[in-house]
Amino acid sequence: MIAPFFKYGLFGDNLGLVVAFAIGIGFGFFLERAGFGNARKLAAQFYFTDLRVFKVMFTAIVTAMLGVYYLAVFGVLDLSLVYLTPTFLLPQMAGGLILGMGFVVGGYCPGTACVGVATGRIDAMVLFLGIFAGIFGFGEIYPLVSTFYASTPMGQLTLPQVTGLPYGVIVFAVVLMALGGFAGAEWVEKRMAARNVEA
Amino acid sequence: MESRTAQPYWNPYLAGFGLGLVLLASFVVMGRGLGASGAFASTITAGLNVVAPAHVANNPAFAEYLKDGTSPLKDWLVFEVLGVFVGGFLSGMLAHRVARTVEKGPHITTSRRLIFAFIGGVLMGVGAKLARGCTSGQALTGGALLNAGSWAFMIMVFVGAYALAYVMRRQWT
Amino acid sequence: MSDLLKNLSINGRLALVAFVLGVVALFAGSPYVGAGAMVNAKDLSLAMATDADQVDVGTLADWIIQGKSNFRVVDLRTEAAYAEYHIPPAENIPVAGLAQSSLLRNEKVILYAEGGPRAAQAWMLLKAKGFKGVYILRGGLEAWKDHVLFPRIPATPTPAQVVDFARAREVSKYFGGTPQAVAGDSAVTAQAAMPTLAMPTPQAAGAGAPKKKKKEGC
Repeated sequence: MIAPFFKYGLFGDNLGLVVAFAIGIGFGFFLERAGFGNARKLAAQFYFTDLRVFKVMFTAIVTAMLGVYYLAVFGVLDLSLVYLTPTFLLPQMAGGLILGMGFVVGGYCPGTACVGVATGRIDAMVLFLGIFAGIFGFGEIYPLVSTFYASTPMGQLTLPQVTGLPYGVIVFAVVLMALGGFAGAEWVEKRMAARNVEA
Repeated sequence: MESRTAQPYWNPYLAGFGLGLVLLASFVVMGRGLGASGAFASTITAGLNVVAPAHVANNPAFAEYLKDGTSPLKDWLVFEVLGVFVGGFLSGMLAHRVARTVEKGPHITTSRRLIFAFIGGVLMGVGAKLARGCTSGQALTGGALLNAGSWAFMIMVFVGAYALAYVMRRQWT
Repeated sequence: MSDLLKNLSINGRLALVAFVLGVVALFAGSPYVGAGAMVNAKDLSLAMATDADQVDVGTLADWIIQGKSNFRVVDLRTEAAYAEYHIPPAENIPVAGLAQSSLLRNEKVILYAEGGPRAAQAWMLLKAKGFKGVYILRGGLEAWKDHVLFPRIPATPTPAQVVDFARAREVSKYFGGTPQAVAGDSAVTAQAAMPTLAMPTPQAAGAGAPKKKKKEGC
């Protein structure tokens, strides 16, 4: 076991910030390559004309999931040292719903808005300000929602724990679901394209 | 350079593969995933802390971003998001896609689009705070780690977006 | 077969790789360090030789008083013994339950039992399972009683011992103990009652709030 490097003390906090910057560059680069600096490309997901949000997201999830799994199985990565955000089921689901609505209204999510801003999109800059306003507003109403915010705490919880199935089985299921989803997405895109030609 | 035509976007599966490798690198090197909205919160906290430090200290929603003595901006996510700007700009420039425009459908005025963008941003800020993360920190990172809450979050993002898609169709199609 | 692979698009190849890896994952087992334990003998013997595997009762008492919260204290004794008395922040995990406990590999864990051996065995078990920050409370609960709850001072103390004892009295009172006047005064020792289980309230001034957990994630 030698990874995660940072948690094994291979470098300190300050070098960690440099690493953060480098990883951010990679993140931003591939987001832009994927077309995520463009609100129309992102929103097309919700009108079934271009399903790249789904494709990119799930390819990334499957890639990282398989990587983490095999590195851990081979004893390179200590999975118990990789930070897992604790689950608070209800606030997370409500937050997801609100964020999803914001996604189709605004056209970006926080990460892609940064790429939109970097590539000159004015709508992304306005949305960027909106995020600040939203976070500030949430802070101001926090005393009212703090009970809900802290409700249904379930600790660090993974799907294998929820289902009682071995980790590897869930990995297989996610791969299968993603591949099925990709095939479905290609089919839907073709149909939508044909329909738009007819119309 | 702006006169050069923009290159088409990458094959989404290849871009996703690249994104997945970056995420994996983050796990292996740092033991944590990617994020975005946390950097926004840190930035706001840093700003507020200059204007009204007492207000920040009394509000747990902001105070959690204050760390013993150091600036909230000296944070992993803040540096990561700075990198996102640079990486996004680099990629956009190399492919001639940097342009001062407003992305919108043909049936909506620019000012209405910008109003919607702002409203969308507000919703996103609230949603990301409530869910303790956004599409990067929850859906992508938690998705790859099979985090139960992240998968519930991810499903609800799609539910929320599709639920409002019909109402918002004039903006995009 | 090779022709088929050649004709496959880049997307198809990615999908094939993902599918194969997914199928193999079905049989590849758990990614967590499993029930089988690995022992790094050199590492362990080094920790023992340098005493880096133990924490003094006095140090632990200081940490609790200072309100530090970056560690977990684990009481390895039976539930009944735990209910009777335990060091205030301790949680009860009997040795049999150690393997399934909620302890995390990167947490600082301080183990204690009545005396030494039981905690030492648990320490070995956790170390073998890859826990990084496991420590034994030196002397266990017996030492805690002798030095923290019921400190004593020799009949003819040196000045340094007097100073130490004054400090020990404060610590003892904090945990609801009874400082003893003179060592060997068996009458007093017999009367000393175990303190109640109420967790002492951290001192307001100087103690400081528990260190804020570093924010991670998005």
